[in-house]
Amino acid sequence: MHALTIARFTVHEAISRRLVLSAFVLSLIFLALYAFGLSLLYNMSPAFREQGGDRSEVLAAGTILTVLGLYAVHFLSSFVALFLTVGAISSEIDSGTLHAVLARPIRRADVVVGRWLAYAGLIGLYVVFMSGAILSMAWLASGYQAFDAARTIGLMVLGALVLLTVSLFGSTLFSTLANGVISFTLFGLAWLGGLIEYIGNMVQNGGMVNLGIAISLLVPSDAIWKAASFYAQSPLFLAVGGTRGQVPFIGAVPPTLPLVIWTLAYPAVFLLLAARAFSRRDL
Amino acid sequence: MTALTPQPPLPCEGEGETQTGALQAGAIHCAPTASPDPVGAQFIAPAGGDATSAIETRGLRKTYGRKVALHDLTLTVWPGEVFGFLGPNGAGKTTTIKILTGLVHATSGEARIFGRPVTDRRARAKVGYLPEHFRFHDWLTGARLLDFHGRLAGLSARERQARIPEVLGLVGLTGRGDERVRGYSKGMQQRLGLAQAILHRPDLVLLDEPSSALDPVGRREIRDLIRQLRADGVTVFLNSHLLGEVEMICDRVAIVDHGRVVRAGSLAEVVGGAPEVRIAVDRADRELLAALARHGEVLSIEPSEAGQMAIVLGISDPDQIPAVARTIVAQGVELYGLVPARRSLEEVFMSLVEGSEG
Repeated sequence: MHALTIARFTVHEAISRRLVLSAFVLSLIFLALYAFGLSLLYNMSPAFREQGGDRSEVLAAGTILTVLGLYAVHFLSSFVALFLTVGAISSEIDSGTLHAVLARPIRRADVVVGRWLAYAGLIGLYVVFMSGAILSMAWLASGYQAFDAARTIGLMVLGALVLLTVSLFGSTLFSTLANGVISFTLFGLAWLGGLIEYIGNMVQNGGMVNLGIAISLLVPSDAIWKAASFYAQSPLFLAVGGTRGQVPFIGAVPPTLPLVIWTLAYPAVFLLLAARAFSRRDL
Repeated sequence: MTALTPQPPLPCEGEGETQTGALQAGAIHCAPTASPDPVGAQFIAPAGGDATSAIETRGLRKTYGRKVALHDLTLTVWPGEVFGFLGPNGAGKTTTIKILTGLVHATSGEARIFGRPVTDRRARAKVGYLPEHFRFHDWLTGARLLDFHGRLAGLSARERQARIPEVLGLVGLTGRGDERVRGYSKGMQQRLGLAQAILHRPDLVLLDEPSSALDPVGRREIRDLIRQLRADGVTVFLNSHLLGEVEMICDRVAIVDHGRVVRAGSLAEVVGGAPEVRIAVDRADRELLAALARHGEVLSIEPSEAGQMAIVLGISDPDQIPAVARTIVAQGVELYGLVPARRSLEEVFMSLVEGSEG
C-alpha cells in the first residue's frame, strides 16, 4: 500500500526531473542513427539490394546487425539501470529527505520496494521500447525475424533488473559514490566473466570456463544477455549453424534452465536483502 | 561567579525537587549516592510502561562503535505538556529524537510512545516530526509535498484536500503552496517542515531545533504555534539549545549532557529549585563562611567594586533567608545587601554542562 505511494512518487520524481524526457529523446536519437545505418546498408550494398548475393551472407549480416543493435540496447539499459538506482536510497539519506518520510508509520521495506517497483517499471518500458524498435526496424528493412522476439525482450528486461536490484541493494549500504564504483565494477566483472568463459571454451580450458560461470552466477547480467542474444538470431541462420561460437557477444546455445531460474530469483533475493539491510540501518 | 564555581553533584541534582513532591515523572535516573531522600533517587515513573505517558524511555543507550551517544536516558513526558529537551551539541538530543521516530535503533533500553514500543511502526501514526537539518524533495510544490506526506500518514484524499490549505495557513504559507520548494527561503522551508509535522493532527510533535533557521519574527510565530498546539492538547517535545525560547514556552525541561539527563522537572523546579542569596558584606572570614555553610552552599566569593565582598549562597528554601540575615549579623559582620535571586535557566544550564564540552 505505502510501497505504491512511494512508487508513484518515484515515477513522478523521474518525470519531474526530466529523467524520462531526456532518456526518451536520447533513445530516439540512437534509434534514428541505427535506422540510418541500416538503410545505408540495405539500400546501397548491391548484395542486399538485389538479393542476388550469397543468401547465407545476407542472413549472417542481418543477424549480426540486429543483435549488435540489441547489444547496444543492453549496454544502454544497463547503464540507465545503474544510474537510476546507484543513489536511490543513499542520496536520500545524505540529503536528509528520507528522515521525515521514514518517521511516518511506514515500513522501511515499503520505501525499498516502492522505489524498486518504479525503477523496474521504467527500465522495463525502456528495454521493451528500445529492443522492440530495433527488432521492428530490422523486420521493416529486410523482413528479418528473430527466433523468439518475446524471449529476447523478456530476457533483456531481466538482465536490466539484475543490475538494477544489485545497485539498489548497494545504495542501502554504501554511499552513492562507493555504490557507483561497486555496481559498475560488478557490471564490468560480469562482462569479463562472459569473455573468460568464451575464451576458455575456445582454448578448451576447463578452469577458465568454470571461473567464467562462477562470475556469471555472482552477477548474471552478461550470461542473461547471451541467452537473449541467442533468441534474437534468425532461425534460418541458427539452422545453418549460427555464429558457430565465433562471435564473443552472441550466445551460441539456449540458456540452461538453472540459469533462467537463478536469474529470475536473483532480483527477488537482492530486493529482500536490500529491505533487510535498510531496515537495520541507523539514519 | 568565577572564583569558586562549585561542581554540582551532576547525576543527582533532582533530589531537591523531589522533596516538593512535584517531580512527578521528572524521572531522573540517579546514580545511587548518599541521598538524604532515598525516594527522590528513584524515578517515579509508573512501572511497566504506563500507557498514559506520551513518551517514556528507560535506560536508553546508543553506542556507535566505541562512541557512546546516549548513556542511560530515562525520562517521561506526559500528554499535553510542552517538554524542553536541552543540552549542548553532541549531548544526545537528536539521537534521542531519532530513536523515538524509529530512525535510529537503540543499543539497549526501552522507548515507548503512548505505551507502544517505538519499534512498532504504529507508534508513529500519531507523531509529527520536524527533523533538525530537514530537507524536502525540492522538485515538488509545497502542497504536493504535503499531499505525499498526508498519504503516508494515512489521510484520505478528502482529508488531505481540506487539511493541506489549513496547515499552510497555520504556518503562514497561505498562497505559497503551488510554488516549488526549491524556490522557498530557508524560513519558508522550516515552516513547511512544521506544516508536515502537524498535518495529520498528531498527538505528539517532536521538534528538533525548530527555530534555528528563523528570524526573530519567525521564532515568535513558532512559539505561538507551539502554544496553540498545547491549547489543542498536543504534546510537544522540543529539542533546543535556545534557552530563552525554552524558558518562554516549556512546561517542563530536561537538561541532558553526555547522553544522560542531568536535571529534569518543571521549569520552576529546575531554575528555582535552588534559590540563591546574593550577600554583600565588608569582610568574609572563615567564621562567617562556616556559619553560612550551615544554611547552604557557598557558591562564590569575590570582592565587589565598592570594596565589599560579594558572596553567593545557594540555599534549599527561601524561608531560610531571615535566618541567613541573623547569622551574618550575629557574626558581627557589616551587612550591606542581601538579595534573593533566581538563577536563570542559562545559569543552571551552564553550571550543569560547564567544562563538559570538548
